[in-house]
Amino acid sequence: MNLSRRNRLASGIAGAAAFALLATGCASTGGGSSDGDIELSITTFGTFGYDDLYKEYEKANPNITIKATNIDTGGNARTDAFTKISAGSGLSDVVAIEEGWLGAIMEVSDRFVDLNEYGAEDIKDNWVPWKYEQGTDPDGRVIGYGTDIGPQGLCYNGKLFEAAGLPSDRESVAALFGGDDATWETYFQLGEQYKAATGKAWYDHSGFVWNSMVNQLEEGYYTKDGELNVEGNTELRARFDQLAAGTAGGLSANQKAWDWGKGKAFVDGSFATFVCPGWMLGTIKGSLESGGGDASTGWDFADVFPGGASNWGGAFLSVPTTSEHPEEAAALAEWLTAPEQQVKQSAAAGNFPSTIEAQEKLAEEATPNELFNNAPTGAILASRAEGVIAQFKGPHDSLIQENVFGPALKLLDTGKTKSADEAWDEAITLLNDLVVNN
Amino acid sequence: MTSTLNRPPVESSSPATSHIPKKAPIAWKHRLSAFDVKASPYFYVAPFFILFAIVGLFPLVYTFVVSLFDWHLLKGQGDFVGLGNFVAVLNDRFFWNSLFNTVSIFFLSSIPQLVAAVVIAAVLDQNLRARTFWRMSILLPYVVTPVAVAMIFSNVFGEDYGLINNLLESFGITPVMWQNETLPSHIAIATMVNWRWTGYNALILLAAMQSVPRDIHESAALDGAGAFRRFFSITLPSIRPTMVFVIITATIGGLQIFTEPRLFDPVTAGGSQRQFQTTVLYLWEMAFFRQNFGKASAIAWLLFLLIVIFGLINFVLSRSIATAEGRGAKARSQRRLAKVRAREARESLRAGTAASVHRKTTLGADPSKSAEPPAERSAK
Repeated sequence: MNLSRRNRLASGIAGAAAFALLATGCASTGGGSSDGDIELSITTFGTFGYDDLYKEYEKANPNITIKATNIDTGGNARTDAFTKISAGSGLSDVVAIEEGWLGAIMEVSDRFVDLNEYGAEDIKDNWVPWKYEQGTDPDGRVIGYGTDIGPQGLCYNGKLFEAAGLPSDRESVAALFGGDDATWETYFQLGEQYKAATGKAWYDHSGFVWNSMVNQLEEGYYTKDGELNVEGNTELRARFDQLAAGTAGGLSANQKAWDWGKGKAFVDGSFATFVCPGWMLGTIKGSLESGGGDASTGWDFADVFPGGASNWGGAFLSVPTTSEHPEEAAALAEWLTAPEQQVKQSAAAGNFPSTIEAQEKLAEEATPNELFNNAPTGAILASRAEGVIAQFKGPHDSLIQENVFGPALKLLDTGKTKSADEAWDEAITLLNDLVVNN
Repeated sequence: MTSTLNRPPVESSSPATSHIPKKAPIAWKHRLSAFDVKASPYFYVAPFFILFAIVGLFPLVYTFVVSLFDWHLLKGQGDFVGLGNFVAVLNDRFFWNSLFNTVSIFFLSSIPQLVAAVVIAAVLDQNLRARTFWRMSILLPYVVTPVAVAMIFSNVFGEDYGLINNLLESFGITPVMWQNETLPSHIAIATMVNWRWTGYNALILLAAMQSVPRDIHESAALDGAGAFRRFFSITLPSIRPTMVFVIITATIGGLQIFTEPRLFDPVTAGGSQRQFQTTVLYLWEMAFFRQNFGKASAIAWLLFLLIVIFGLINFVLSRSIATAEGRGAKARSQRRLAKVRAREARESLRAGTAASVHRKTTLGADPSKSAEPPAERSAK
């Protein structure tokens, strides 16, 4: 009895201790220790090309260890960031923010450190002015350093073009699409021609073409004043009809974006053209690798884009106020987005830098990109960036892009409807359900 | 045990001597031990309940509080709207769509899963060679994380490059649109769920089957009951409590399905046209895409109520099925018993030697002695 009682007491204590451990175990485990060794976490998405830069930074700053996380797509990175902002903890010391959801972040910009406190003003002139302004909130606080911008060129598969009797070298292709006066009309006409010759699709799916078309407009889903600008927007509607007609004519390969059959669709000739903002070159590289393709697959990059200059995407590096080492985090963000590092990033990920010096360097060097038939992708992007001005992004921009127009265009892609009216109506219904009456 | 029995005389002797200074500590001891006996069980279970209150009850209540407000994911609490969020959700076509998907996937997964689990458990309950190997093997899919399962099956069920569609195409059959059509997408997801959970449930049911006394089986076999008869009349009714457990956990799990549909298409929240958007996935979309925490909490509560209702229905159903089975068996065995008795009465009249009849028949001609037990056995 005595023994068993003692046992019970012991087990009671053990239970209470275990419980206490559990209860306190959830408390935050802050990174870094006191004696100058600092662990900085950073979250990026897609193909960022930072891996070698982290090592370089760690070498130059031996007291700093970088813990990096990369999320597969910008959409999932958005969910990750929003979840952690709402939870009030868990954000990395440096967080990459995508242009498409910057509007939503701006509504809670006070959750991010004002980089002016760490000398943002001094390096202001590094960037193209509009990029720097995008990262500044209405109160003048700078909450993000620009990494890359998304000037768009046209990716095309030279081999498939040849097989369809189209010219295949970069200059001729640029001229074929209309050079500086390239229009979407020509793009779809050529698509029909290609389809008639080969029976194959022209673009991978409608969503990306649509994003390019929208981002090209002076005002997209929102006006410059932040008013929703979809219903009754005749310019938007005209472009939607154009795209819908093309897709209904079989120009879309109805591929799953960000998957593309694990990259196989890029290899097996499912489609011949692809809209390419700078950072997309990295995505294609990854897809070609996983799909078993290489330089011989035939992808090339032309200095032309239907409808003129267009910017799709681009990112920022921000430091959330929850960071325990805001100063070091800001220093890391500054270093990573400095011109020298942006050039290296561009070499690794194929994206296009947002600082003027880095852009000039890329244009000057014109390094051939082996995977894209030795096209000087950096120089081409520099040329494509001329006249690019990023559009104002409202708080629900990325939601509208992915959850309103995404499903509506998928109706056309899958052939569930061939009518532009029906698809547009679906988009408007979704808009009302998800944004207006949410 | 022995120490408790020995102690009372020792303790009772001390009051008898009635030394007052000694009495107080002993009374204290008494009270302490009484307190120990009465209260300590509650202390032992307390950690669970305290944990439950923190991680279960509190979120439940707090979710309800949130559901009464306009609550933005990033901007936080807004105006009080009462039950407005619930009304909005109940009028939301996507909510009903998600319910339909959830229930559809639930039926497509639970029913085949339970049937398969029972069959597998029954097979494993036999005398197999390398028994442990087989039993471990069926648990293997459960060890694989749902994420890996979803990734593998997404490849199998891919539309353009998937394994199944490639096979179908090589036979000249039109490929199935596993993600764009509603029913095929439900089947694909149910397959993932079944792959993962069938073995787990089979193992639980197997454990229950093992605890069914073997002598009941043996005597039923002697009575001439075949394997199927024994399975339906003995095994199934005996594992009824476990069945109820398995069915209810399957219900709770099935209605909360998230990972599989989420990863079946990692870009959208349950298909481009919400073909396989389950309620939890919709809740997630509402909270983290649409950033409306108030409505998301309302969905969470409605789902909670739904699971409670489903759980109760399943509880009642699974009880009544098993008892009906038992009742039917009882009625049948009594009818048979009556026949046997009548025949044996005739035979004994004819032969005149009752003793030999006793020895020959297994069901027993003597109603008072051996007739009752078999009837009882097959009934329970």
